[in-house]
Amino acid sequence: MDLTDKENVERCRDGHPEDFGLLVDRYQKSVFSYLVWRVGNYSQAEEAAQESFVRAFLSLGKLRKPESFYSWLLGIAGRVAQEQFRAELRRGPDGEAAEAMAASATGDTPDYPLEEVIAVLPENHRRVILLRYYEGLSCQEVATRLAMPLGTVTKTLSRAYLLLRQELEARDFRESPEKTVNKREQP
Amino acid sequence: MNCAECRDHFIVCVEGLLDRGQSLQCQAHLETCAECRAEYEQIASLQRCLVARGQAAAGVRMVEAVMRRVRQEQFKPERETIMSKLLKHRWGFGLGATACAAAILLSILLTTPKAQARAAEIMTQGAQAVAKLTSIHLRGQVRTAPQDNFSHIDADREFCAIELWKQFAPELKWRAEKPGRVVVMDGDSAVLYIKNGHYGAKYPHASPSAYDTEWLHRIASLSNTISNELRNAQAKGWQMDTSEETAADGKVKSVVTIHAKSGIPENDYLKNSFFDNADTRRVYRFDTQTKLLETVRYYLVRPAGETLIFDLSQIDYNQPIDTKVWQLDLPADMTWAQEPQTLPDNEKYASLTAEQAARAFLEACSRKDWDEAGKFMSPITEQVKQYLGGLEIVSLGESFTSQSYRGRFVPYEIKLPAQQFNATKKWNLAVRNDNPAHRWQVDGGF
Repeated sequence: MDLTDKENVERCRDGHPEDFGLLVDRYQKSVFSYLVWRVGNYSQAEEAAQESFVRAFLSLGKLRKPESFYSWLLGIAGRVAQEQFRAELRRGPDGEAAEAMAASATGDTPDYPLEEVIAVLPENHRRVILLRYYEGLSCQEVATRLAMPLGTVTKTLSRAYLLLRQELEARDFRESPEKTVNKREQP
Repeated sequence: MNCAECRDHFIVCVEGLLDRGQSLQCQAHLETCAECRAEYEQIASLQRCLVARGQAAAGVRMVEAVMRRVRQEQFKPERETIMSKLLKHRWGFGLGATACAAAILLSILLTTPKAQARAAEIMTQGAQAVAKLTSIHLRGQVRTAPQDNFSHIDADREFCAIELWKQFAPELKWRAEKPGRVVVMDGDSAVLYIKNGHYGAKYPHASPSAYDTEWLHRIASLSNTISNELRNAQAKGWQMDTSEETAADGKVKSVVTIHAKSGIPENDYLKNSFFDNADTRRVYRFDTQTKLLETVRYYLVRPAGETLIFDLSQIDYNQPIDTKVWQLDLPADMTWAQEPQTLPDNEKYASLTAEQAARAFLEACSRKDWDEAGKFMSPITEQVKQYLGGLEIVSLGESFTSQSYRGRFVPYEIKLPAQQFNATKKWNLAVRNDNPAHRWQVDGGF
């Protein structure tokens, strides 16, 4: 039985710090992907993602709503990205990566922080989306992993898509979200 | 296929789960309906975006790297921890990782009754007194089964000895031991050995705690204890009192008493079975001169009264620890517990209910099919084979949960086969499936 984010956070706070690894495992790819979008550079995104998780662990005591762990974590990741950007500016930015960082860190970006939108999903919907797309599991594998029928997985996916699209629309994201996703540096 | 039917199928269609007939019907409708086609294209576009984001992160593996840094941060020498920083900065804010606990303490000092503020102050001074802690050795006794988990308690049992050796610098190492089990973390990995079971397990990291020893480590790290107790005092309304005592040698001791409530309901199956789910009165005794923590006593608090369950009578600070303590002489023929791996037919096992898994395990034991039983329990030791081989199932009940356990409990009644165990056993099998293979594993309950 997988624990919810809230349960995991509470266990970490109650003297089981190793359980933080479960949260890292759950969100490492989506946080990395979010940071790729933010900083436009794979190696810097990985560095920033690690830093974000460590800061999150050290600040767990300050998290008022443990059930909102993921959106809180993305907030930390955003601040880490911002710091990286400022550090890069101090060193004197040049090249494509710095331009991408400048664009994203100032909010002047052509594409969309999809993970921020995923963060607004209810946790059970978010888990299915992350397992299916970020972990690359098939729907059947997601069903096995979450011990639910395949039909429940596809229904949850349908609902998740609906909520994602509503949120994208609410944020006035009308263009295709995929248009710039893969144009950044490849690992 | 009309518009509503077609739209109902959009997700299974983009996921490629529609059968050929339905897929063709869906495509035929899309060719004739511009609105549905536009809707479908939006969904397909979002899916491509999600797939692309996932693929971009496909090779990302940072759990180990993050947890290594987390452990380093967590086990910085005592001088780097909350209390020393807190005292150095005189209740200052902006302490990064430790700001929360600092804020809690500050809040307690400013807003709580005098006794609670005094308790916080005594414990803080205790932490300051060990600000340059390089090692600690705890010796005490606990009411528990000698071979059971480290945090297991049983108020009806006799005391058995329990010890923790811990070296903080130059390298983190520790050893926890009671008569039936021992764990040694030698700086690289933690090894658990169950003495009478002749088996063990290995955690391949320099973990600050492992194998149910967290509660003992909390006591060894007084600043952690303080922040933990203070946070709970504030969040859960635990009462804190202080008093003074004069020992036989005339020395005055400061006593902090914490009335800890687990929050576990009285009717919970595991209530009062482990330190973390027991209601306890915790008594920390400090020397007023040296400020050092000298003894710790935990009393189990039940409606029927109090029972002393943990008595930590000796704490040695900064004493050299014999290097032999970090060595563990293991028998060559011992068995190692293995994390369940994904089997070729894993789905068959992962789809079982807890009851079905318990039955399958017991039936395998009944047939002495140890390969099959091994899919539900690791390791299958000779002791297990002797105890359960050839058993007869009398009944199995409906599984239930406990608030403090991640798995489920399946009630069972079995007839034990061997002459020496010629009896009926009625108990609850603990099974859990929070492992990478998502198969139910027998975790205890014999």
